[in-house]
Amino acid sequence: MAAQNSKEKLPRPNAPELDVSAPCSMRRAGKWTALLLVAFIAALIYLAYTLITESPYYMAKSGAATYGIVYDRTGDVLFDGSQPLTNYPAGQFADVGNLIGDTSGQMSNTIVARNLTDLANYTFTYGNSAGTASLETTLSHSANRAVYNAFGEKNGAAVAYNWKTGEMLVCVSKPCVDIAQGYANLETMLPGSLLCKAFFPTVPGSTQKVSTLLAAYQYAGVDRVNALEFSCSGKWINAEGAAINCHQASGHGTQLLPEAFANSCNPYFAQLVQSGIVPLSSIIESYTRMGYSVNGNKAEPLTMDGITIQPASTALSDANNFETQWGALGQGKTLVSPFQLMLWQGAIANGTGSAVMPYLLKSKTSPLKEVTPIGKAVMTEQFFTAEAAKAVQDVMTQNSTNHYYVSFDVYHCGVKSGTAQVNDNGREYENSLLAGFCLDDQAPVAFCILIEERQSWDISTAQIARTLLDNVSGLS
Amino acid sequence: MTKTAKPLSHPFLLLLVLLAHTAMMVLVVLSFGLNEEVIKMACVILTFDFIGSIILQFVQREACTVDTVLLLVIGMSTIYQSCFGGLEFAVKHFAFGIAAFIMCQLSYVVTRNPYRAERLKPLWYGIFFILIFVIRFLTGSRGMWIDLGFITIQPSEFVKPIFVLICASSIHTQLNKHEIAGIHFVPDNLMVIFCTAVIAALQWWCRDLGSLPTFVAVAGFGFLLRFCYLREKMSVRLIVFLGLCAVAAGVFAWKLAPAYVQERLHSNIWADMSGTGYQQVKALTAIAEGGWFGKGAGNGTLIHVAASRTDIVFSTICEEWGLFTGMMTVILILFLPAAVLTVPPRSYYHSGLAVGVAAVFMVQMTLNIFGSCNLIPFTGVTIPFISQGGSSMLASGILAGFLKAAQAPVLTDRRSGKEGK
Repeated sequence: MAAQNSKEKLPRPNAPELDVSAPCSMRRAGKWTALLLVAFIAALIYLAYTLITESPYYMAKSGAATYGIVYDRTGDVLFDGSQPLTNYPAGQFADVGNLIGDTSGQMSNTIVARNLTDLANYTFTYGNSAGTASLETTLSHSANRAVYNAFGEKNGAAVAYNWKTGEMLVCVSKPCVDIAQGYANLETMLPGSLLCKAFFPTVPGSTQKVSTLLAAYQYAGVDRVNALEFSCSGKWINAEGAAINCHQASGHGTQLLPEAFANSCNPYFAQLVQSGIVPLSSIIESYTRMGYSVNGNKAEPLTMDGITIQPASTALSDANNFETQWGALGQGKTLVSPFQLMLWQGAIANGTGSAVMPYLLKSKTSPLKEVTPIGKAVMTEQFFTAEAAKAVQDVMTQNSTNHYYVSFDVYHCGVKSGTAQVNDNGREYENSLLAGFCLDDQAPVAFCILIEERQSWDISTAQIARTLLDNVSGLS
Repeated sequence: MTKTAKPLSHPFLLLLVLLAHTAMMVLVVLSFGLNEEVIKMACVILTFDFIGSIILQFVQREACTVDTVLLLVIGMSTIYQSCFGGLEFAVKHFAFGIAAFIMCQLSYVVTRNPYRAERLKPLWYGIFFILIFVIRFLTGSRGMWIDLGFITIQPSEFVKPIFVLICASSIHTQLNKHEIAGIHFVPDNLMVIFCTAVIAALQWWCRDLGSLPTFVAVAGFGFLLRFCYLREKMSVRLIVFLGLCAVAAGVFAWKLAPAYVQERLHSNIWADMSGTGYQQVKALTAIAEGGWFGKGAGNGTLIHVAASRTDIVFSTICEEWGLFTGMMTVILILFLPAAVLTVPPRSYYHSGLAVGVAAVFMVQMTLNIFGSCNLIPFTGVTIPFISQGGSSMLASGILAGFLKAAQAPVLTDRRSGKEGK
């Protein structure tokens, strides 16, 4: 050993790289190694942090977690992953199945499916036995159930939110799966039971005239548009020779815009589009700002607490073209979801042209009982000008006062109805829609009602809207 | 004066190893009870600790960091592999662990003298090209394995230590410049570039680019040291320039990468949980289920997933032993390359070896751990000493021997007078 040590202490003089004091250049090996080690350990810390914070997501996605409870705004249970749903009274979840969803994986565009991580009863330290997680929503289960029941035998959708705070109050889509009953009868379920129609575009009918009117007000001015006169004889032949029919076969005669809006007169609005007073390019621009996908242009889908709402779409090619005029009237290729119709009503109701974005999740509670607020009022982009919003608000409240006084006698509302002509793979029928808002402090809500295949003797959209207002009044 | 190592006292280190393994065995007993298999495993591993320590006491004490960590890691690795999914002493793994320990001592003996190790470069080149030939012509179709029936060998694992030997260089070699048509060049540098290109071409041919980052890192750090030694004032600027070149090369490679590589870089494992993302989803879920302290030895379910003992072994450990133990195991392996920081190499050639080994170990662990945890593309390389696989274990043992050589070199050159510098 001693001999060996002596060899180490006496390096040969003609060997410059054997500098026993490890010169600076040689010590760089240590520096590079240290750099590698520091980088690796930093990455390791990042990995640990990622694993710990994202582990609820891993557990939720892989189905290895147990889940907590979803509550409505009063503490009523909308979903419970901690016990069999059959423990609850029959029909407890019948009106919210396709909105709140469950952990079965049958539905993907629901509150539970989109927020599984927050609902998982899992923490990295305590595993699945940490406690019970929960999500608190803004939904009023009692109002939701009342509106659901109001549909009676009819199918459709109804959505309403507080346009001041953004709280979603009602979201009904009928038919609806009862998650407590499971999916054994999946094949015999009515079509559409597993999806919330409020989030999917449908033919808007004359509720589209609100969008067209907003475009006209913005680009031609409120006074000028309100002074426009067009006549209706029950049928109007456009520049291509195609007929635009009015629902009133005898026609409405010569009308100003507020009358035509109240009458939902198709020839009037078709002439407005063809006249060039509002150039088609301006209508397209206005629609695009509102979130439409026009002529195939990409429009970003809306999202609410992870739920995706498909954007509105339409095709507008030539102001003289029948399909274009028909689309601007809310028929043909124009599609809008009830949610988006409701959102625009919110922007009209507050008179700014920009809406408070609706939210359904108010807060989340971790398994360790830490409460984190989620929902807050966030303004959307400017859909249209405040001047146009206020002008349309006036026209709609006037319409409500003149034509819906019986339905909304105690409420200060603005509404626009619509009848959508639907061609569902060759099967033709008509849907009834009503989009509107209430300006009362007790019920500052924007809403949209859709009744599918409504006949004249069926319940009306206005009746359902009244039920909705009666049940959400005072919730604010 | 020579800076001699001041290692912790040898009995203390032995005690540390014994305590660590004993603690692990206690946990194994808690999971499986005190049965014959547990006793057998405890006896074998603790006896190995004793014998290994006693042998090292007489062989080389200056390099005790590497030897101690090696003893510790081999024992831990054997316990892990024996307990995954149920108790069965991993005899083969342990045998390869012993072989790796022996290979470490052998490679130390071969490389402890930097003069001799560098003079043997023609031999390293020869072995390198033989291995390349074997991989190209004797392994399965575009595979990396040779199946001998009773054992399978992965020659590409042995290319790693040889490549580290090739990439290390002394100043003397770097001063050996040649000139052709007014261009000065160092033959050794050209050879490193050529060998790197050969490896890249071979891996491209095998459609297995998983180990390429390891080789590129070794070559890269080898060149960094070469430039640093000779052009200290220019080094920072040069390193920045080389870094930019590396980024440009990376972008270029990305553009040229085959579809399956690009797909892997883009893949969303959660969108294809039962397909391409299956292993990683299971691995991440297993870590989450394991929590801080695991489900207990033998209580994991990840063992039923392919490559649970190799490519996703970190997750398997985390599931049964917990994230804390998994992290500690990784940090323990880092003590091997970190030995350079406690006892700096005293020759340029050994500096190159030490950084090369650090690059191999850390890049491999990065690819394995971060790949299986979905932070980077999942490739399928091993964690040194931990993953199952004899070739990997032996190659890692050889690499550890290089570190030992850097710690306890023999700095005499009997032939220096004949070199004609």
